[in-house]
Amino acid sequence: MSTGTTTVYDTTVTAVGEQVPAFLEHGILIFFGDHAPAELHDISVLHRVTVCDDGPRPGDLVHLGEETLEVLAVGDVVRDNLLNLGHMDIKADGLTEAKLPGDVCVRKGPIPLLATGDAFRITRQENTPEQDHS
Amino acid sequence: MSEYKSVVVSKGRGGWGGPLTVLPTDDRPLVASITGGGIHPVAQRIADLTGGQAFDGFKSSAPFDKIAVAVIDCGGTARVGVYPMKKVLTVDVHATSPAGPLAQFITEELFVSGVKPEDVQET
Repeated sequence: MSTGTTTVYDTTVTAVGEQVPAFLEHGILIFFGDHAPAELHDISVLHRVTVCDDGPRPGDLVHLGEETLEVLAVGDVVRDNLLNLGHMDIKADGLTEAKLPGDVCVRKGPIPLLATGDAFRITRQENTPEQDHS
Repeated sequence: MSEYKSVVVSKGRGGWGGPLTVLPTDDRPLVASITGGGIHPVAQRIADLTGGQAFDGFKSSAPFDKIAVAVIDCGGTARVGVYPMKKVLTVDVHATSPAGPLAQFITEELFVSGVKPEDVQET
């Protein structure tokens, strides 16, 4: 880690649902905290949080195991969902404006399949501006 | 035997789907709030008016077939599809429309969005 980088969210994968690979084929990765209702486990990567300070902003980096993806856009309800529920949807759609309020957009391309024990982290360089929700 | 009353849940501003008629039964008494941070006001109002049992989905679990209605605060991908896929009536407090890989399961008969407490009315 270089200086000037803050980890705003840090968590460890505890389980990967059966339907996660099918969603990855659509360029979608869904996270939920491990206290989520059982009916959501199939479609989600479950995780246990260690750092929970903020949701992602455009320009932040999402670290999925060994892979690092830059955040291009963030929907309006992402921060609340992540901080309250550990819930986030990553979409590899390359959009710079989120289509749905729950989307976190990254470049088009493959998203890695995580495994139990992998890290899921969000880091921020200093001077990343706050999101404008006006 | 409990006495249950039905309510109609209509879409709010910018919302989609519905209106849904929600009537809990002894077999399906639960008004599930899958929202985190406790029971959402929309779920509480449905429970108050119907006599159903409000329940925090992030604190305890219940089988799908016990849920009269699921109240979610979904940003449009995951929860919006999972509950309709199981044929559970679903109320999203955010104004979402069907999207994502589960969109095929989201129908006007099962789903309504953009809902505020005042969009829940006695019948």
